[in-house]
Amino acid sequence: MKDVYILGIESSCDETSCSIVKNGTVELATSTSTQIDIHENFGGVVPEIASREHVKNITIVIEDCLKKANMKIEDVTAIAITYGPGLIGSLLVGLQAAKTLSYIYNKPLVPVHHIAGHIYANSLVEELKFPLIALVVSGGHTELIKMTDHFSFEKLGGTLDDAIGECYDKVARVMGLPYPGGPKLDKLSKEGKPTYKLPIPLNDDSYNFSFSGLKSAVINLNHNEEQKGNEINKADLAASFQKVAVTSIVSKTKKALKDYNINNLIVAGGVAANSILREALADMCNENNINLSIPPLKYCTDNATMIASAGYYAYKLGRRADYHLNSLSTTALN
Amino acid sequence: MRVLYIDTSSDYLYSGIVIDDKLVSSIKKKYEKDLSKEALPKIIELFDEANITPKELDKIIVVNGPGSFTGIRIGITIAKTIAWALNINITPISGLTAMAISCNINTYKMPLIDARRGYVYGAIYDKDNNKVIEDSHIYLQDLLDKSKDLSDVTVITNNDLDINIKKESYDPDILKIVKTFENSDGINPHLVNPIYLKKTEAEEKLRKKPDYD
Repeated sequence: MKDVYILGIESSCDETSCSIVKNGTVELATSTSTQIDIHENFGGVVPEIASREHVKNITIVIEDCLKKANMKIEDVTAIAITYGPGLIGSLLVGLQAAKTLSYIYNKPLVPVHHIAGHIYANSLVEELKFPLIALVVSGGHTELIKMTDHFSFEKLGGTLDDAIGECYDKVARVMGLPYPGGPKLDKLSKEGKPTYKLPIPLNDDSYNFSFSGLKSAVINLNHNEEQKGNEINKADLAASFQKVAVTSIVSKTKKALKDYNINNLIVAGGVAANSILREALADMCNENNINLSIPPLKYCTDNATMIASAGYYAYKLGRRADYHLNSLSTTALN
Repeated sequence: MRVLYIDTSSDYLYSGIVIDDKLVSSIKKKYEKDLSKEALPKIIELFDEANITPKELDKIIVVNGPGSFTGIRIGITIAKTIAWALNINITPISGLTAMAISCNINTYKMPLIDARRGYVYGAIYDKDNNKVIEDSHIYLQDLLDKSKDLSDVTVITNNDLDINIKKESYDPDILKIVKTFENSDGINPHLVNPIYLKKTEAEEKLRKKPDYD
């Protein structure tokens, strides 16, 4: 069989990224320009600044990626692009570049949903085994998805309010941790004990999540202790928050695996980098004989490697877009 | 000489292909929200109509601002990607300059783009299109005050601005714009970036904080 090389482009938030992946599973090269340092000054991603950075970097990361792979675009089979969801001004920079490359080099254009990309980051480790449950945890998403085949997504449940990553960043901010706070909160929690009592979110029979109540509880607790003049033990508060948030995610995930009698679990999205969540999921999967796949840290955050990997399977299924493809800030997983 | 011109700095797509001394294909159409979807397909139609492939281009001239941030990024990203792929240079130009060049009139020219809340992107050029006042993001009244000493000024704008001096609407003369700039060296496409003339709101706020250096 002829090898398929997909050039992927991703610009949905604050990373401008280009990658070339062979046959959906082998990363040949990736070039990513990250903007964390820039947005750190503002305590979060500023959409207009993110868009401005993407324009500066887009052709540079494409050239750099090709150089690293020692390839020319002529050697590539198709071009995969994140069309959504994400920040609209950011998305459309990658989109225009991808459409233009597709036209100039006469290469098929393959549209990829950002979350499909996060899920397929796992196939860079080993090929997906179906049926599976995908747990998507990121700054914009907290979802449980059932897959019976490639690109067959059935959403079982999701967050009713804040995404888990958003909740982590907001809680970290209240605790005075600099952006991006999630990873710093994760690190800090290891020095503490879960001594603070926090409400367990949405402990019901659904596959849904809710994190706004938990977030408010942490904010209120922090505020009340300040009012009383008590010093908050930040490490303990971080540990308490992590314990409740992670328990909620793990128990709903376990329920989905059990109810559908599925023994493959894959984890996707930036919060998959969270150490406590990784440990808790590993324990649960061990106890229940579940095959667990969590991508390495570098594939958890936004990157074009996962888009190129997902792009391979989408390409194989005949998915194509024409030059009228537009970016979408919100769009259902497809 | 084969030149592609792209201006997406307003709600309009202004684009054309000039071969030697002739504008062989062009488009001037309002898109607003659909610009991201339609810009590239329409530019492809221009190549088809001109019966050339992008690979035959010698140069791209692109408007790098001021105007709609999102709009500018669409045109610039397309221009950068084509130019990078073909290993040719880009000449970025000011949209206000393009407005002045397109207007054949024997007075000072004040091209204006509405920047909302009383602000405009504007400049003043003399009748030979030399800059008298640089491109700026400026309070409209301040720019009008600066033009007081000039004998005869014509405003060029497609926006509904409340001004009591004579106005011309903007209709780009793509051939004339291209002929003005086609012999400039241009720059490497990696280095082409929008000129916004305005910091983001987040940066403005940060600047006002006392501890910001």
